[in-house]
Order: sequence, then C-alpha cells, then structure tokens
Amino acid sequence: MRSPLAVAGVLGLFALLYLAPVAAPNELYALHILTLALIYAVPAIGLNLLFGYTGLVSLGHMGFAGVGAYATALLMKNAGAGFVPALAAGALAAGVVGALVGMPCLRLRSHFFIIVTLAVGVILYTLFNNLDALTGGAEGLPGIPRPRPLDLGFLVVDFRRPQGFYWLALTVFAAMFLVQYLIVRSDFGRSLAAIRQDETVAAARGVNVFAHKLAIFAISAAIAGVGGGLKVTFLRAAAPLSFELMESINLVMIVILGGAGFLLGPLLGAVLFIAIPEVLRVASELRLIIFGAVLVLLALYAPRGLCGLAEAMWRQLDTKGYARARHP
Amino acid sequence: MPVPAILELAGLRKSFGGIVALDDVALTIERPGIYGLIGPNGAGKTTLFDVICGRQMADHGAIRVEGRPIERLRVHERARLGFSRTFQECRVLREETCLDNLLFAAQDKRLGREVWQSTTRRTAARDEAAAEARRLLALVNLDGYAEAPAAALSYGQRRLLEIVSALIARPRFLLLDEPASGVNPTLLNTLRDFLRRIDADRRIVILVVEHNMEFIMSLAARIVVMHQGQVLAQGTPSEVQADPRVIEAYLG
Repeated sequence: MRSPLAVAGVLGLFALLYLAPVAAPNELYALHILTLALIYAVPAIGLNLLFGYTGLVSLGHMGFAGVGAYATALLMKNAGAGFVPALAAGALAAGVVGALVGMPCLRLRSHFFIIVTLAVGVILYTLFNNLDALTGGAEGLPGIPRPRPLDLGFLVVDFRRPQGFYWLALTVFAAMFLVQYLIVRSDFGRSLAAIRQDETVAAARGVNVFAHKLAIFAISAAIAGVGGGLKVTFLRAAAPLSFELMESINLVMIVILGGAGFLLGPLLGAVLFIAIPEVLRVASELRLIIFGAVLVLLALYAPRGLCGLAEAMWRQLDTKGYARARHP
Repeated sequence: MPVPAILELAGLRKSFGGIVALDDVALTIERPGIYGLIGPNGAGKTTLFDVICGRQMADHGAIRVEGRPIERLRVHERARLGFSRTFQECRVLREETCLDNLLFAAQDKRLGREVWQSTTRRTAARDEAAAEARRLLALVNLDGYAEAPAAALSYGQRRLLEIVSALIARPRFLLLDEPASGVNPTLLNTLRDFLRRIDADRRIVILVVEHNMEFIMSLAARIVVMHQGQVLAQGTPSEVQADPRVIEAYLG
C-alpha cells in the first residue's frame, strides 16, 4: 500500500463501510453479520502481524483474546470503567500475558513453538473455565454493559442499537488496521519481514531476532485482546467457549483464507468466514467440512490466500496492459 | 604500550561432537586490507567465520577488536560493532527487491529506533541511504534490477547483491564466504574490480574464504592457509604458494 491509488482504495472502502448503515438502514441482519465479521477481523489483524508478516504461527491466539476479554468485562462490569479505558486495559493485560508466554517459548524452533502456542491456548481456556471466582467458570460473566451513548452533536450514537455497535466495531477495527499499517511500513516491520524470510540473514545484519519476535508477539496478543474485549461487549457476556481451541483454529483459517501478509487479508477472511456460511444458512457441522475443502483448494491454487490471488491476477492484467502499450 | 591489533584471534577451539573444526586458531590482523583464507575442504574456514561473527560460539579462546574482547557477544551485537558477512550458500531476502534488501541492511536495527522510523516518512537520512544503495547497485552492475525481487536474479547476481548488502552498513570487518563460487567469468571481473575499489576507498578489513586460487591470489595482499582446524601458514600470495607445507596439504 505505497501507491496513492491503494491508499485511496482503502480509504474509500472504509468510507463505504461507515456509510453502509445509512445507505441500507433496514438490513439489520446483514449489519449484525458484518459486525460479527469485524469482531473477528480484529484478532485476525494481531495474528496476521505474527503469522503473515513475521512467519510465526500461533494456534492459541484466541486465548490471548480471552485475557483481554475477561479484563475488559471485569473492569466494565465490576469497576464501572468506561469502554475505552477498559478495552485499553484489556489490550495491556493480553500484551503482558503474551510477553510472559513469549519469553520462554520464542526461543524454541518453529514447530515446537507452534505446539506450545496450542498448549497455551488450551491452558488459558481451562483457566477461564475453572477460575470460578474471577471468570465465572463455564457460565462466564453475563451482564456486561454496552458503552454509554456518544453525542457527536449532529448524531447521537446509541451502542445498544445494531447501527451504533457496528460503528463502534468498525472504529476499533479501523484503529487496529492503522496500527497494522504503521507497523508493517516501519523499519521494525521491515525487520520482521526479514526474520520471516531468513532469520540468519536478519541476525547477521544486526537484528536482535529474539527481541523483535517478543515485541511483535506481545503486540499481536494485545491486538487479539482488543478483539476479545470487543467481542464480549457485543455479546454482553464473557464465556470460555468464545475463546476455546476451535476459535483459535478459526482465526488461523481466517488469516489464511484472506491472505496472510496482506493488510486487508484479516477483513476479507473474516467477512468470508463469518458471512458466507450465515448467508448460505449452512449448519455448523457442514461449515467445517466446507472450510476444510476450501482450505485444500486454497493450498492447491492460492497458497497466499484470496488477497494473494487478487494480487497475482492484478499483476497479470498489469503486465498484459504494459505489454500492449509497448507493442501495440 | 603497543597499539592493539584491529582483530586478534587467540586459542580458538570449536568441536562438533568428536570432530574438531577449529584447533587452537590464532591470527592477528594489524591493518586494513584484503586477506585471503584458503585451505582444503573441511579445514575449518567457514566455522572460523561463524565463530568470528557469533553465529556459533567458540568452545575456548578469545576474539578481540582493538583489544576489546567480543567472544561473548551475540550475532546482532557483533553486527552492530561492525562485523558484516556473506554466506557460503548465499543468503539474501528473496521476496524483497534489490533496493529493499539494501535499505534493510542499512537501517538502524535498534528496536526503539525502528518503531519510530516509519518507512513512509521521508527523511534526509533515508534519502541518503537510498542514494547510497543505488550507487552500490550501480558499482556491481545491478542498477537495472533495483526494483526487481532478489529471487529474479541469477545466482551470480544474487552473490553480488549479498556482498553490497553486507557492505552498505559500513562495516569495519567484511567477511566474504566463497564470493566467487557460481559467478561467471564476466561477473568475476566485476567482483574483483569492486572489491579492489572498496579496499582502496574504505580501508576496512576484508576477509575472503575462496577456493578459486587465481581469483584470491590476484586479489589478496596476504593469504592465511588453514588445514585440519589450524592455521598452517600465512604470508603474501607468492610466499604461501612456495611454502612446501601448503603444497603438501593441498596435494598430499
């Protein structure tokens, strides 16, 4: 996204998304689905930074989302904190847990690291499920309040209404998208890309590979925590099932489906993953079978996800146009 | 008090299981210039590079830069001290363009600095780095490939890219592991001219492991011969070539 055209395209997309509830005020079901997709797209951004850009696979990322979720829920429910400070605290909590997990685990070789992230996800889920005094156990924490209405002068946004919460989810997503963009385009992001491509080269050129991995792991966990906080505010309840192993696997599928290592990959993946089965009314058992098949097809024909496929097609068009311009 | 040597290796040992790769290696480099490191396969040349750059830690021994011990420092810390290397198997960032390979190599890798240095923000320093990158690419005839991904280059071109990547960070020690292997004769001349020019301009220590004898003898001011993990001989190219021990190591 270095060309002005791409920047304009992304800004246009966000403008469309913001205007959607106004343009189609009666499509409440579609808005609900889109809100759900945005809620998944946020932790997917965290995973995309880790997996797509740095090359580290985490199979327990919804566990970190859960840490952020419970922290946000407890602060809003019991301490009466506002949504924004509670969400920020949730992100911080998830980031700290991410850093603590990362410190011993990031020294492991890649496949051992993947197994450990899976175990960490299961451990966090088990804690959510069993720390009754703190997390409410299997029943979770019901009764999380929605943020208070926001008076913009020309418009009062009520977050209890679908439109209001959609805008909230979109704004949180936009903020995380901006964080993702700034990281990817920074010198830090370039070092992360170098680590993904060849750790030995990165270290030989002066990158402290471990410190960089730890930093991005903590940032990635914090962004997942934001997603978790958003999710439980939407559902008005925090429950362990929202952050179980299968949800972590779904997150990996979202990132792969959309295109790992592309800025828009998490959004595209989440919309397809959440919206298409809903629209097609597919039962959840069938959904997994369909996504299994889709993943096989992706691995065979579009290993870089849908964004990767789109980029390849665009390049082909581009070179054809270029060839025609040169040899009319 | 004598001035400490630029680079001093003392009593370096490294073994892998029962195999001794470095057996008490000592070497003192007093002044800048091109140093050739030769020896039969398995003599320990690449292991010595790895140990100097910190990719592997020596079991025993000392490495001193101007008297300062550095053998405990990790790879990236030594890189920041001015050690820059290429690899026998030629490693570049294949997905990045040639220009981005060089800009990555040139940037300040300290984490705090990196986070605040947004690549989208143009600064005088960044423009200077890009200009330097293009100058270096032109010196090795890669200026036409600045925007091409490294994976699109030929093997020999990738070697040249790797060498300029190692050079752009302004190292004090440039370690090249078989820079001439897989490079065609035309590119070989480009490489030789380029290294001579760098030697003349920068006054740094350039250490070259090489099997192409004609190439290294015409390039290096001094040659170090390794054999079975030890330094067998050292001297000017003609001294080394006349040394009976060297001839025996290679032929016998």
